[in-house]
Amino acid sequence: MRTDEQGRGGRVALLVLPLVAVLLAFYLLPLGRAIVNSLHAFGPAGIDSTVWTLENYRRAFDPHYGAVFLRTLRISVIITVITCLAAYPVGLWIVRLSARAQALVLLVYMAPWLVNVVVKALGWSLILGGAGIINRVLKGLGVIGPPLQLMFNETGIVIGLVHGHFMFVLLPLWAALSALDPNLRWAAANLGAGPRQIFLRVTLPLTLPALLAGGLINFIMNMGAFATPALLGGSRTRVISYVAYEVNLVALNWPLGGALAVVLFLIVLVPIWLAGRLGRSRGAG
Amino acid sequence: MLRVFNIVMLAFMLAPLVMVVWMSFTPGMLMVPPLGEFSLRWYAAAFAYPGFVNAFWLSARLALVSGLAATLLSFVAAYGLVRGRRFRGVDAVAGLFLSPLIVPAVVFGIAMLQFVNAAGLYNSFLGLALAHVVIVTPFAVRTLMSALAAVPIEVEWAAMNLGASRAAVLFLIVLPVTARAMLAAFLLTFLISFSEVTVTVFMTGPSYQTLPVRIYNYLTDQVDPTVAAVSAMLIGLSLVLIFILDRLGGLANIKK
Repeated sequence: MRTDEQGRGGRVALLVLPLVAVLLAFYLLPLGRAIVNSLHAFGPAGIDSTVWTLENYRRAFDPHYGAVFLRTLRISVIITVITCLAAYPVGLWIVRLSARAQALVLLVYMAPWLVNVVVKALGWSLILGGAGIINRVLKGLGVIGPPLQLMFNETGIVIGLVHGHFMFVLLPLWAALSALDPNLRWAAANLGAGPRQIFLRVTLPLTLPALLAGGLINFIMNMGAFATPALLGGSRTRVISYVAYEVNLVALNWPLGGALAVVLFLIVLVPIWLAGRLGRSRGAG
Repeated sequence: MLRVFNIVMLAFMLAPLVMVVWMSFTPGMLMVPPLGEFSLRWYAAAFAYPGFVNAFWLSARLALVSGLAATLLSFVAAYGLVRGRRFRGVDAVAGLFLSPLIVPAVVFGIAMLQFVNAAGLYNSFLGLALAHVVIVTPFAVRTLMSALAAVPIEVEWAAMNLGASRAAVLFLIVLPVTARAMLAAFLLTFLISFSEVTVTVFMTGPSYQTLPVRIYNYLTDQVDPTVAAVSAMLIGLSLVLIFILDRLGGLANIKK
């Protein structure tokens, strides 16, 4: 009986193979190829596959590209921090609503994710632009003289991506907050803890893993965003995706383009690896 | 205080969408939201502009093909994962299926650009569809795994005892039982593919224009209210699909 079941289970497992094959051929292979390309030289005739070199990685870290990486990293971290700080009050408020209201409010937070990024960027440019609604209103009220520069700079990127990637922090946080046993808070209150203490010593520690998990996804999305920074940051505030676009599609320098992709991926893998380690040590302890 | 902050946040989430829709009804030539006078002229202009119409159909075809392919592949694979639990490496395979989520879009876009060029799939529908299948697969796998895990295995045993083959069980029993989740997975993958910009821009440059890419290019060189009308229609389409998805329970898996 047992062997029979195992045999069946074994054959059923083969059903994963079509998808595995597709992912190997059109996901892992392209990624691997980009890594190989990044180790080749680039000449007037394109990639020179006979030459193996680390030159592209040296260039990826030179002052020019290095500065772009640092800017991208800084903007991404700022967005994640703002999002995490704003998501807590939102999550705490949502879990106190009725079930119906919760579903509706969550939908409002999910909707922007499923609306096209270019459409959202258009909306933000109508709000933040030099002739946008904020500047019009402030000017009409006589508060400002020359229009405020709210986009084509880092401010525009931060606003656009806090909006666009908010859901990735809010949803896991909301799930953790609604799974929280209310008895814990009552017990803490009974023992004399104030609301502040209850939040800092009960709610926050218990929901921190969810916040970190959401923050991690949020950070990855920020690092890899292209259209929002391009449209709201413009050519003066270039992030790595924008520069990588020029290198790959304008200069057609695939070895350097591949190296930029590898470095970006490694930057993202570090926090993922750290989070995995943290998760394991928590599980073990 | 908490309430005020949350009302501000809800307004923040909706503001750009509301602005686009408001803007799209302007009777004027400028990107100024209309007060008092409204017009549908830019909707007419959008339908009369082949660039947007063709791009819409390309996007719709692409989303249909990649959504269907991803849903079917994920259904079969998720069944293998859920029912074939005992094999070694099951976690690694599940991890592989979900891993496109952690690859930044730009990284995958660069890799696919270089790959499709070498494979002779540059500027082809097939190349784009394959990339989109990879991008949307994690969402389909997640949705379908939790739906399949909820199917009682006794039903399948009963069918097999009565002589049904594994394929018959899969397509005549499991598929109908999980039809809602299948539809939800399809709509979700359709919508994500339909909205995809980054990988598509990297793979095709400005020449092969899906609707989001077309809008992106339009925004980078000129802006007139036509683009607001197209965008407003996209918002409408997204909201309708989101509403249906929510009804089907298709957003529940993302919430976790």
